[in-house]
Amino acid sequence: MNNKEERALAFVNMYAVLGALRKLCLMDEEAAKLAGEDISVGISVKDGPEATLVFGGGRCEVRDGTEKCRIKLPFSSCRKFNGMIDGTVTPIPSRGFLKIGFLTGNFTSLTKILESYLRPAPEKLSDPEFFRRSTLLMLNVIASAAAQLGNTDSVGKASASYIPDGAVEISIRGEESVWLTARDHTLSAVFDRPDRITAFMSFDNLKLARDIFDGKANSVASVGTGGVRIGGMVPQVDNINRIFDRVALYLS
Amino acid sequence: MKKIYNYEKSRELFARAQKVIPSGIYGHQGPAEGCYMPVEAFPFYSERAQGSYFWDVDGNRFIDYMCGYGPNVLGYNDPDVNAAADAQRAKCDCVTAPSSVMIDFADLLVDTVATADWAFFAKNGNDVTSLAVMTARAHTRRKKIVFFRGYYHGVSPWTQKIDYPGVLPEEVANNIYLPWNDFGAIEEAFKKEGDNIAAVIGQPYMHGNFADNELPAKGFWKHVRSLCDKYGSLLIVDDVRAGFRLDLAGSDHFYGFEADLICFCKALANGYNVSALCGREHVKNTVSGISFTGSYWMSAVPFAAGIACIEKMKRLDLCGLLRSRGEALASGLSSAAKKYGFDLHITGEPALPYFRIADDPTLALHQEWVAECVRRGIFITNHHNHFINASLSEADIAETVEVADEAFAAVRERHSR
Repeated sequence: MNNKEERALAFVNMYAVLGALRKLCLMDEEAAKLAGEDISVGISVKDGPEATLVFGGGRCEVRDGTEKCRIKLPFSSCRKFNGMIDGTVTPIPSRGFLKIGFLTGNFTSLTKILESYLRPAPEKLSDPEFFRRSTLLMLNVIASAAAQLGNTDSVGKASASYIPDGAVEISIRGEESVWLTARDHTLSAVFDRPDRITAFMSFDNLKLARDIFDGKANSVASVGTGGVRIGGMVPQVDNINRIFDRVALYLS
Repeated sequence: MKKIYNYEKSRELFARAQKVIPSGIYGHQGPAEGCYMPVEAFPFYSERAQGSYFWDVDGNRFIDYMCGYGPNVLGYNDPDVNAAADAQRAKCDCVTAPSSVMIDFADLLVDTVATADWAFFAKNGNDVTSLAVMTARAHTRRKKIVFFRGYYHGVSPWTQKIDYPGVLPEEVANNIYLPWNDFGAIEEAFKKEGDNIAAVIGQPYMHGNFADNELPAKGFWKHVRSLCDKYGSLLIVDDVRAGFRLDLAGSDHFYGFEADLICFCKALANGYNVSALCGREHVKNTVSGISFTGSYWMSAVPFAAGIACIEKMKRLDLCGLLRSRGEALASGLSSAAKKYGFDLHITGEPALPYFRIADDPTLALHQEWVAECVRRGIFITNHHNHFINASLSEADIAETVEVADEAFAAVRERHSR
């Protein structure tokens, strides 16, 4: 019932929203083309996250820290950084002025494609392939956001404090899996299968997953129909599900 | 070989229920909170019940080790309890002026429960745990309540956690969560917050879910009692789950200490809906001043049922009976598990056994075994303690062990050593 916390939102924006550029470049040809140039954008937020988006060869990855970035965007507060994400603050680079064209060009185009998938126009969802990509991208964003909120949001941390160590697989059957690992109540989103899975939460199909992500269906109610399957170390799933409730607030 | 059950009608009904009831079946008896994994292994709806059995809507018979999550203590449809309830129903039940059977029931509880100088009746465990906490706050004029991690005290917001939907941070702001059996932690909490602690609330032993149940360490409750006395806090025992299954005088009596307030529900009336808060004389005045009531709280039929239930529990030497039945069950299941190389942990008191196959820390093997048992007619759950009832026969236990053996064999076949 707590409201969004600015610092937690900054971590979500950095690692879940901008972090989704990784998945976007893997699934969308146009995005991959825009990520062709070798360049890195560091984002340093005072009292908040600090990470670098590394582009090149049609891919994007997020690395912690900004030491080796070509372009650096400093933000004096989490609120300012969050303002950039919602379009109300224009960033000014402190390093890499000669590369500013990437920011105004390819980077802006990439974020527009990202937004088209994460906040899609309703008519676009009637295209099955777009629907599929959008839903899988949401799965990635939600997993990453859950990890960040479990580590930074005051309510999310309470949920994480009840999560035993291990790796939870969250999957859409026949499509894709992501994993959330817990170690000493610190969460990480992982996109390569860990050696050992301790619990799982599986959505039966893309449509149901989408409905749950959009708040049109409830995962607890779907357990009874077999639409959502859970198993293994249930307290991990149960508490991650509580963090998903916070994710919905932060991404709304 | 036992027949493998199917649940076609249960599923049809569930589809219908989902249209008009949130989650189809909400709460602990639903497939999500009930940890039905995989969901296909479990029945959803019962048709009838008798003794230790219930039959689902598909005609499958189950030996029931959940006992309606505790209320079935003598056996479903116990004739003595039903006769008392029927006789009272013929006279009056929910009427403007309560029946004097309420006083008879309170008298009987005061005579039976060691710590009881009075009894206050409601409907569910949550009603009386909430009243106990309100009483402690009113009595001490303090805010904070000490809980032991892994607790369950009901579903009111104060019992839930900050991350539960619909719970305000303010509603749990005065909760102090401590590890069970940790002498140092509770001493430290009292040193720091003693003057603000209204009460310690605890189940008589840790029967939390997803982990082996843990009995109180030697001297733990006496330590808690002495801290409460030193700092002027009340000690509340939530005996809703274990009450009357360990000791008819209360589980605090069983473990050798005395609570200020003790909460009963499940086994109180063999399925008739009544709960009771009992307590010591020195808090009676405080309870008298609290505004706390409900539409059906003075219904006479459950009081009559409760009297018959307690009298029969006394006649049967219920606690000794449940202990011996629980021990026989544990022995049979352990042997069956060993035969197939499984390490089945059975913890808690024998009357409320908690099962866990410890070979696999992810609990997945355990979930497989439970599913195989349920499919063959033994209703157990994955991660909640079970309940023994007085009608459970030696033949029922033998049948249970036979089914468990088959279930272990099925799991072993899939997971060779």
